[in-house]
Order: sequence, then structure tokens, then C-alpha cells
Amino acid sequence: MAVPEFFNTIEQTGLSKWIRFNTDSPFGFYFILLCHTIGLSLLVGSNAVVDMRILGVGSALPLKPMKQLFGFMFTGLGINIATGLLLLTAYPTKALTDWDFYIKMTFVTLGVITMLRIYMRVFQDPALSEGDMIARGKTMARFSLCFWILAIGAGRLLSETYSYITYGHPYPR
Amino acid sequence: MELNFAHLHLLLNHFPIIGSIIGIALFFASFFGKNEDLRRSSLIILAFVALLTIPTFLSGFGAQLSIQGKPGVSDTLMSRHEGSAMLSLWFMLATGVFSLVGLWQFRYRGRPAPWSIAVIFLLSLLTVAMMARTGNTGGDIRHPEISANANGTVNEGTAGSIFAHFEPVPDKFSQLMLANEWWWGFLMGLHFMGLALIVGTVGVLDLRVMGFLKQLPIAPLQRFIPWALVGLGVNILTGLLAFIGQPEMYIYSSVFWLKMFALVLLGINGAVFYLTGISEGLDSVGPGQDAPALAKLVASTALVLCFALIFFGRYIQPLGDTIKHASN
Repeated sequence: MAVPEFFNTIEQTGLSKWIRFNTDSPFGFYFILLCHTIGLSLLVGSNAVVDMRILGVGSALPLKPMKQLFGFMFTGLGINIATGLLLLTAYPTKALTDWDFYIKMTFVTLGVITMLRIYMRVFQDPALSEGDMIARGKTMARFSLCFWILAIGAGRLLSETYSYITYGHPYPR
Repeated sequence: MELNFAHLHLLLNHFPIIGSIIGIALFFASFFGKNEDLRRSSLIILAFVALLTIPTFLSGFGAQLSIQGKPGVSDTLMSRHEGSAMLSLWFMLATGVFSLVGLWQFRYRGRPAPWSIAVIFLLSLLTVAMMARTGNTGGDIRHPEISANANGTVNEGTAGSIFAHFEPVPDKFSQLMLANEWWWGFLMGLHFMGLALIVGTVGVLDLRVMGFLKQLPIAPLQRFIPWALVGLGVNILTGLLAFIGQPEMYIYSSVFWLKMFALVLLGINGAVFYLTGISEGLDSVGPGQDAPALAKLVASTALVLCFALIFFGRYIQPLGDTIKHASN
């Protein structure tokens, strides 16, 4: 299948070129990648702590106040959406011709959906007891951890699975 | 005279060798009179020595690169020393891990479990023997006056032959790390999972101690720390394997060494948290209450150091060849 010309159009924009070529700038590609990593840590780290609590780690910890951790998750998600879009703008051909990118996005989407379901079904009803919260959230917590592990794994494999660097420049494997 | 990797390695290598002997000696001594304080001290020493073994091992690659090819320096003897060092490293780290398990059991059960004492006993014994072997093989490289291995040829005695049987061949081990790009991606994936686990667990505890998330009591949050240590362990393991695979990518990166320095500081910060009574004091800090100022300082330092590790780690690749050496 031919690589869509549209990817080249994006790569010729000023923003795309700036991110790709401006390696000397402190706010260039590696800074965006750093922010993406920090966003991941906030999103998945906080999510993992809530999931682990629901699954019984630190059982003396009251579950209801942990609703505050969703603020960190949403912040991390926001950072990752913004930085992810910038990285995609820099290398659209590299990402969108890579099958692993779609796997990563599938697991990220499933992880986010599960996170939102836990937020709505476990933490939004103040009438629920801690026992009821845990009962509602247990299966979702297990799936959440799995989705994030798979999302991180797929994301890290992106550097090994791409077949194009930029439009018209295949990467020999 | 400029400080180079050979200097650094010669400075650091005394810590794992002598430190492991001191640690095991105190550990054995604790069995006489059942001295629990002495036992606890020995575990602290073993855990800290394990942490220091990491920069010692890493600096060895730099030392190797700085003397390789010089007259009288045998590649065979260096490879032998490197293989011995790899084996010693894994056993020292395992001893450190179980020492931390023992210390955790001291904290929450009053004493280590019999099984962990037995494991620490066995591992520390093997580690000391391997460290002695590593020191000996290292001395052979530049001290022909005490070596049975003159002119770069290897003459193993009975004990040496037994050790040599288990020691990895460094070049083959390095090639194994790079043999498959999927394996490399898997290592890096695990490294990021460990990172998320550390930031999540340590981050929530540190933020609470600093005064945020005040509805949470602190004592149950401390129960997440073993998971942070699992994450740290995964990252140390995957990081070391990545380093062994591509030492030259890391050794000449100033940012990599800053990351290692931050890691050692994080270990010291953790030691301060647990050994000065801060951790025990925080158990009584309930919802809505403030932690002591010193606890807040230690917690904020830990958080800064965690993010420093991420920051430096992310910049290893772009700031690769930034330490002056013969090739640049």
C-alpha cells in the first residue's frame, strides 16, 4: 500500500520541521519526549496506585480520598495528548505506517476508557461503601493494569518496528 | 592530572570488596548473643554496598577502554576480570535485594523471617567469595608481581576453574543483549513500566508527606514502598543489561553519570528516611495532619531525584558523546 501524500504535507509544515531539525533547542524533540514520559508516569503511576489499592494493596488506606489522584491522571493524559500530537506532527509517516503504533493507541484507548469507568462507577457515587467500591472496581482494576502494561510495552517497541523515518525514506531492516 | 575512569574504578572497587566482607562479618557476629541491632546494621551495609557496586561495575568499562591496547595490558585478563565482575555484580545485587527484604521485615515484624536470614547468609557467603575472585582477577591485569598469570596467559587454580565455569563471557553477553531488536524493545518497555511504578507509589507517598492529599493517612501509603522497590529493581536490572549491550553509548555520556549519581543520592535519601526514625514517626500522622518538616524535606528530595532520573535518562541519547576520551 502506498504511503499517503498527506503525511508528506504534514512533514513539510514549519512545526514538523522545527521539531525534527531543531535538536539544539531545549524545547525540541527530546524535551517533548521527556514531557511525554513525565505524562506517562503521572497517568499510569497514579492509575496503578488506585488499581493496586482496589486489588488489596495497602488495605488500611481509605479508598474514597484516592479520588484526588484522578487529577494527576487527567493532567498526565492531557500532557500525553499534547506531546503525542506534537510527536505525530514531527513524524507522521514513521508513526502512521507502523502497525505497532495502532496497537499502542488501542491499548491506550482501552486504558483511558477503563480509567474513566472506574472514576464514574467506583468514585462518583458517594453512597457506596468502601466494600461496594472495591467490588465494583476489582475487575476493571485488573484490566486497567493489563492495558497500561501493554500500552507501555507497545509504545517502547515503536523504536524497533518503524519502517519509514519520513516520507520517501524507508528504514532498512 | 585529570580524573579518568581508571581513577574512578580504582576508587570505587574497594567498596564492594571490603564492604561485603564487613557486612557479612557483622551478619555472622550477630548470631552470637542474637544481637538484632548488629544484624540490622549488617543488612544496611550489605544493601548500601550493593547500590555502590553498580557505579563500580559501570566505571570498569571506562577503565577498560582507557587502558585497552596499552603495552603490557592483556585483553584476555581484562575479559576474565569483566566476566568475574558480572557474576559478582548479580550476586551482590541479589544479596542487597534480600537485605532490603530483611530490613522491611525488621520494620514491620520486628525481625527478619528465618527463610530470609538463610538466603542472605548463603548469598553473602557466595558474594564475598566472588568479590575476592573479582579483586584478584582485577589485580592480575596490572600487577604481574603478584600474578600467576604472566604475559597475559590465564592459569586458573582449582577454585579459579570452578568460578570460571560460571562466569559469563563478556563479549557474548553483550552481543546477546543486541541480538534481537525485540529483546531490546522488551528491556526498554520493562524499564518504563518500572519507572511508572516508582513514580506512582513513591510520588503519592511523597506528596502526602509534603502536605498534599491530606485526607490520606500516611501509614498505609508506606505499604506501597515494596512495589516501588520492585520497580527500582526492574529498572536497575534492565538498565544494567542495556548498559552491557551498548556500554560505549552510555559510558561517554555525562548525563548518564548524572543519572547514576542521582540514583545513589536517592538511595542515601531512602536510608535517611528509614534509619533516622522518620518513617516510624510518620505512622502516627493521620488524615488532615501535617508531617514533620524534616520528613517533608526528605520527601521533596525523593520526588526531585525521581524526576531527575527521568530527565537525565531521557537525555542520554542526544547527549551521548559528551565526556572527553581518546576517540573524540
